[in-house]
Amino acid sequence: MKMDKTDAWLTTSQNEPRGYIQPQTLEELWFHTGTNCNLRCPFCLEGSKPGDNRIEFLTLDDARRFIDEALELGVKKFSFTGGEPFVNPEFVAILEAALDHRPCLVLTNATEPLMNQMADVLRLRDKPHALKFRVSLDHPDPAKHDESRGKGNFKKALDTLGRLHQAGFGVSIARLMLSGEDSSAVDQSYVPFFRIAGVPDDITIIKFPEFHLPGSFHEVPEITETCMTRYLNAEQRAGFMCNFSKMIVRKNGQCGVYACTLVDDVNGYDLGPTLKAAMEKRVMLGHHRCYSCFACGASCSERA
Amino acid sequence: MPALKVHNIVFRHDDLFELQLERSDVSFEPGACMALFNEDGDSRPYSISAGTQENVLRFLVRRVPNGRVSDWLALRKPGDTVEASDPFGWFRPGRSAPAGERCVFIATGTGVAPFLSHLRSNPFKPPEMCLYGIRRLADAFALEELECLSGFRLAVSKTSGHGHFHGRVTDLCEQIPLGEDIHYYLCGLDTMIEETSQWLEASGIDYTHIHREIFFYEDGQD
Repeated sequence: MKMDKTDAWLTTSQNEPRGYIQPQTLEELWFHTGTNCNLRCPFCLEGSKPGDNRIEFLTLDDARRFIDEALELGVKKFSFTGGEPFVNPEFVAILEAALDHRPCLVLTNATEPLMNQMADVLRLRDKPHALKFRVSLDHPDPAKHDESRGKGNFKKALDTLGRLHQAGFGVSIARLMLSGEDSSAVDQSYVPFFRIAGVPDDITIIKFPEFHLPGSFHEVPEITETCMTRYLNAEQRAGFMCNFSKMIVRKNGQCGVYACTLVDDVNGYDLGPTLKAAMEKRVMLGHHRCYSCFACGASCSERA
Repeated sequence: MPALKVHNIVFRHDDLFELQLERSDVSFEPGACMALFNEDGDSRPYSISAGTQENVLRFLVRRVPNGRVSDWLALRKPGDTVEASDPFGWFRPGRSAPAGERCVFIATGTGVAPFLSHLRSNPFKPPEMCLYGIRRLADAFALEELECLSGFRLAVSKTSGHGHFHGRVTDLCEQIPLGEDIHYYLCGLDTMIEETSQWLEASGIDYTHIHREIFFYEDGQD
């Protein structure tokens, strides 16, 4: 499917009106800190790796501008993803600026970039708002986690998870969701590791389905307007991230406001240079990752 | 993405060499690395070993078996170009130690690169101690520079003689100075970093004073 803003943007291949979300509120603003990462995971939905520059480093000046605009729009929370955010040389300063105003969530692999900056991170406990970390622990089997993320990285991530919790930060984990899995059994198999790390047995576990590499094309059922009303109720529609959040992405030296955290590989989801303009734009559910949100209820967000 | 001209390649032996690229307008901090790309677009990060005032960027490269990038780099000639990312990094020797605090550097193999960059950029801020572990003397980079440091110790694991310590660098842990005001920077082989970190923490060093960067793995994983 063509993903520019032609008729194919508005209708499906069967010429039916494409499903969409008309954003209601800006509860959460995400920032993409850049696709530079210390790891090189083959499944990375952002294609991040060392030195990668597909999405450039967010700067402190960029962040300040959008923090101010988001506050005017009533934002409740700031969240950060990468790449690995702590590879960005201005990231701790960006977090400091954001924590002056709202609680923050950081998605991290919890390896060397964060470990080496723990002294700076611990100082963020003195900020007026809470900081929470979501650590990637892909599988409850360390060998499987390390197969993609590199040897020893499960242990490092688990150690760092425990240290963050013991330092008083909120923590959760993200894991991969396998098709046909018994989700509660998989969640339960993390508990022995949580006990080793000294974190509560019942910390939040966010599960991500297979999102495929950025720029890839995958045949998935298309979402029509009828699908959105026949199969989902109003509450489920409101739960789509594009309804209540946006993401700031820096490409080619300037920032754009994207519809959500998963569609930055398609320029059609760049909704403009300001949050105000972006919030007025209807989000067409045409990306193959939109189907994951539709079918699995996938969400990068942790709403209270 | 800058394309940098090869200034020179200096081999220590078949599997180990220093790649020198003309600097162009690249600016960096000691400890920074750059992703270097082969002609197929594959890349690997390499730490800069040059000082910030030098006209060339130096990289210490160990050829890994079937290494798509390291094998390709080994075949470059002066005047060829190599595509590189902008400098980046999360391992900054000496940076976390504010004025008056002390540093200890511990390296194995090409993991000495970020420390050489620090020493060449900040010659008046030497570490309290610098331990350097290699397998054979032929694997050593910049030994003359390093031997000028009063706290330098060389550990050679496979060969003996020449006045150096014969053994692994971790065998020298007991000689590492311990103190609340010291920051410890570990770079190189995963097992060295893991063992030394555990030893430091068991000796009472706060984990926020231990800075780590893994370059390669004991089992050869790239």
